[in-house]
Amino acid sequence: MLGCQDFCGYYDWTFHFVRRSWGQQAVRQLWAEAIGGEAQQHYAQSASRAGLRGLYQQWTKTGVEESCDWTFTLDEARNVLRFDMRQCPSKGFLLANDLQADEDYCDHCMGWTVPLLSGVGVELIEHEHNHCGQCWGTMRGKDRPTQPLEVEADIRRDGRWNCGFLHRWRSDRPQPLLRSVSPSSDPCDVLAAWFEAANGLVILGPESAAPEACRSLVPGCALLTIGKIYADGRQCPIDPSAVLLGDERDELAGVAARFQATAAERRPLILHHFLPRGPMLDFVSAGLPRPVPILPLLIRRGLYRHQPGGPTPDLTELLMLLAAALQKPIP
Amino acid sequence: MSAPDFYFALNAIFRHIHDRYGKESLVAYWRALGREYYRRRIERWRGAPLQVLAADWREYLAAEPQAEVEVAVVHDGVELDVKVCPAIKHLRDQGRDIVPYFCEHCDHVGGAMAEAAGYVFQRQGGSGSCRQRFLRPSARLKEAS
Repeated sequence: MLGCQDFCGYYDWTFHFVRRSWGQQAVRQLWAEAIGGEAQQHYAQSASRAGLRGLYQQWTKTGVEESCDWTFTLDEARNVLRFDMRQCPSKGFLLANDLQADEDYCDHCMGWTVPLLSGVGVELIEHEHNHCGQCWGTMRGKDRPTQPLEVEADIRRDGRWNCGFLHRWRSDRPQPLLRSVSPSSDPCDVLAAWFEAANGLVILGPESAAPEACRSLVPGCALLTIGKIYADGRQCPIDPSAVLLGDERDELAGVAARFQATAAERRPLILHHFLPRGPMLDFVSAGLPRPVPILPLLIRRGLYRHQPGGPTPDLTELLMLLAAALQKPIP
Repeated sequence: MSAPDFYFALNAIFRHIHDRYGKESLVAYWRALGREYYRRRIERWRGAPLQVLAADWREYLAAEPQAEVEVAVVHDGVELDVKVCPAIKHLRDQGRDIVPYFCEHCDHVGGAMAEAAGYVFQRQGGSGSCRQRFLRPSARLKEAS
């Protein structure tokens, strides 16, 4: 018997099953058709009945049932319905239980919401989520103008907002994750674009002798290293192409110092695994850009399968998996 | 977090996979879900006394809103006497169109879990109330003979 108590866990697992069985488009169809088109039809009915007010009533009812720690704000004069999620119980279930079967669980939310809202004349104006349980968004009726709405509950004022990586939506459309690298919102595309020109990847890990690793950096190869080594210029004498950060808060200051002291065009791509049981790290306050997640690509390529409570690869192993996922040789 | 509206999604996902990819794919999905997602429960069941399996189901079902289920250790197995299936009840109460094969998910999810843990799964009844058994294979043989 499948219950509702652990639904979020097998929901995440189901997304991965659908992706691996029928491809990327299949999971978007599942969200739009099964969830938005059938399971959540009470939202569409509420919107058809009472517009933004109907959606507000439906979402606040759901919030009580699902114990959401959020604030929903309706301003009909401004034509805005806004939510600020302080702790998403759904993503929270995965984090609390060390679950990550799929590439990006949070994607499902806009995956069903945007198609459903579009069908009832409502536009998602803006949305951001940080993959750590915090998000916000605004919606409007398409039939009339809207005005910006400032709220006291703005989740972006919360210290937790600085954790994780951001996915952004504007006018019903996902926005680039890292515009300077790729127009795609997909971190897998960002990684592919960043390393596109590299013929191979040289990994400078704790076991490597730095000069040796750097000597093997033949023209056309990119150097990858980890935060602790990057922070120490003696261990990593040349600027790497990418740096994978671990779970150590203490290393962020050293990484940020070197990153900030490096000319913008020579700065590395900052990466992180964002494993569900890892600590929430505040990259922004440390002076770093939010890292690009590597797990989605490893999961998509079938190179990593998260085992709740099980062992996880160390940073060097993760970089080797990344090289394999990018199909780049390690000289 | 036991929000019964999640049953809407369950019913809709079943329909979606069935209608887009066929019944065989739906069964494959259910069985993979049982084997993979519930791997840790399977590990707890495997080789453990029947009381462990019974306690696991009691704990699971206690968190399901409106579920009325009695769990008992019977000869060579564990029986779930589902007087009120929480999923069917909620879907019916909310006027949802329940897929005709909804109850089969128990056969395949539960069946895959049972097989991986060294049991045989049986179900009698359905559509809101049923009797489910997780039997040691020896019990099944005795029944057959």
